Amino acid sequence: MISKTFIKETKELLREGRVRISLIIVLLLLGMAVFISMRQYRNINEQYATANANERANWDNQGAKNPHSAAHYGTYAFKPKYPLSLVDQGVDKYTGTSIFLEAHARNEAQFSAAADQTGLARFGDLTPDFILLFIIPLLIILLGYDSFTKEREMGTLTLLKSQGISSWKWILGKWSALFLPIFLITAALFLIAGIVLSGLEDFGVFRWDSLVMMFLVYIIFYSVFINIVLIISAKTRKSGISLVLSLGVWILSCLVAPKVATNIAQAKHPYPTAQEFATAVQVDREKGLDGHNPWSDAAKELEREVLREYNVDSVSQLPFNYDGYIMQKGEEHEAEVYFKHYNYLKEQYGKQTNVYRSLAAISPFLPTRFLSMSIAHTDYGTHWDFNDAAEKYRIATQKFLNDHFAENSEYGDWDWQADPDFWKQLPPFEYEPPGLEQTLSQNGTNLTLLGGWFALSFGILFFIVKIN
Amino acid sequence: MIITDNLTKKYGEHIALKNLNLNVNEGEIYCLLGANGAGKTTTINLLLGFIEPTSGSAFINQLNVRENSKDSKRFLAYIPENLMLYPNLSAVENLDYFSGIAGKKLKTQALKAFLEEAGLQPEAFDKRISTFSKGMRQKVGIAIALAKDAKVLLLDEPTSGLDPSASNEFGNLLQKLRAKGVATLMATHDLFRAKEVATHIGIMKDGQLRQQFKAEDISLSELERAYLKTMDYQGTTV
Repeated sequence: MISKTFIKETKELLREGRVRISLIIVLLLLGMAVFISMRQYRNINEQYATANANERANWDNQGAKNPHSAAHYGTYAFKPKYPLSLVDQGVDKYTGTSIFLEAHARNEAQFSAAADQTGLARFGDLTPDFILLFIIPLLIILLGYDSFTKEREMGTLTLLKSQGISSWKWILGKWSALFLPIFLITAALFLIAGIVLSGLEDFGVFRWDSLVMMFLVYIIFYSVFINIVLIISAKTRKSGISLVLSLGVWILSCLVAPKVATNIAQAKHPYPTAQEFATAVQVDREKGLDGHNPWSDAAKELEREVLREYNVDSVSQLPFNYDGYIMQKGEEHEAEVYFKHYNYLKEQYGKQTNVYRSLAAISPFLPTRFLSMSIAHTDYGTHWDFNDAAEKYRIATQKFLNDHFAENSEYGDWDWQADPDFWKQLPPFEYEPPGLEQTLSQNGTNLTLLGGWFALSFGILFFIVKIN
Repeated sequence: MIITDNLTKKYGEHIALKNLNLNVNEGEIYCLLGANGAGKTTTINLLLGFIEPTSGSAFINQLNVRENSKDSKRFLAYIPENLMLYPNLSAVENLDYFSGIAGKKLKTQALKAFLEEAGLQPEAFDKRISTFSKGMRQKVGIAIALAKDAKVLLLDEPTSGLDPSASNEFGNLLQKLRAKGVATLMATHDLFRAKEVATHIGIMKDGQLRQQFKAEDISLSELERAYLKTMDYQGTTV
């Protein structure tokens, strides 16, 4: 009975004009979205590779220079575009792509794609994740809203009941027929993405298991959506009402819930404004050591401590250049200040994430969105991780430069210059995003919530819905 | 094959069916006559298990419908007044699906043979149902009953809206099924068709079976008079 219903439903779907047209439109949109994303991915990564190589060449070839001048000259940490961003661009468009690494200051990532766009960007981009998260659920509604109501409206339900139809087998047959085209479309998209990514130059680390995991997340999301649409169709009398209710669920879960979650999270755990943040950092910086100000109380205290420790009367008697030493101590204080304030931002981000996660119970869209972005490494978590790695590299770079200055020059000799080849000794900035296992363990709540939606919706569909 | 024992159905204070006692044996065609609201469709719905009786019992092939709702359906086929099939599927595909639902696995040749036996023209077998007339759809309904090898056939106004020749053809099909031993209960307004095809005729009014006859014992005009008398008709008969 399941296979008979499946075959019958599939034939009916394929013979209906609206279904054929919808499928063709979605496939065309998907094709275009993948093509656009692929070009974008390739262009950005080519730019990334060029910028990275040029910046390193600039650093390596800056010539003989005082290390602290080199510290101010600075360098850049570029964020690569990860392979699965081809499928889900997440918040990549809004986060910066490069961080300027310099002495004394932790800078924000700059040059976001959104900042380069005109007001037209407000209308959204045609990306695979837009199709996956918004259009395919709409397609599910279009294919399934009248799945049961049509049987009532056409009068075939009476004949089916007289034939002794089994409720759950009938539902499973209809479910399978609705699931198959959605599965095939999604599988085609992910397969094409996988083939494209395997064929492209490996800028990031492309892993098939991450792609498969992302595919499974979407398949579970669609299964939940299919269940919801079928439950509505089974419990309503008219196709029109079923369509309106299903669209209502789509609007609430895919459009309203994310906005509500964002507003609640921001209201409960707001970020400070850029001005408040900068002021707070400045206040804390001024409370401690400034490497460029040897007359401050903190500098005089450090000097006394160092002279006592080395049992000398003057900083010129120290076995190292005190200028380099105080510069490094100043860096360490500033790094602590930045760590404290960025940590506060991260805490706020963590609290906001917890609010999102608790609200993910109201919509299967939210856990799907978070999981998809995390697996693609296009979420805020990865962006924070990249920022932290860049800051770690900045601190290490400053130490590398200050130590070289302190160990190789005399106190007061600001004209001293490091060898032109010295810069090449600085290891390049390298960043590895969290692996799939780590990503999944960080998203345990989202996985549980999506699994909960899956089990609950199936339970309602098969054990509570009775066709009559 | 079809038995009702003091079968009663009430909707609140309204009695839709009162103490109906019927017995339709193998190879018999029982026609229930009556005006709208007489209780004919309620009787059929109770036999199908679509609604539950307030009291009394209905039996299909000795199975109490209330207690064996699913099993009792294995023996019956039902053709409503307007048999609705899937318009985007062909006659063969519809028959395949509905017989499949009933647990029959039949090859295309067998399905076509049933459609042919039901009187459908071979050129219509693979045409979509959306192009079919009501008479053609009723033939597919009969084919469904044949494919299911139903022992009981329940018909609710099956000839309503059919032209005389299609109605006559449908009557002939019922006779074929009767010859196979199928017990048929048909609710109808059509006295002429009832007299033509039935072995037994009952007249219902206000949820009660008021009169019943053996078809061979009564002429068409006598049946008409009995019917009108039961309905308290005050006009002139033809």
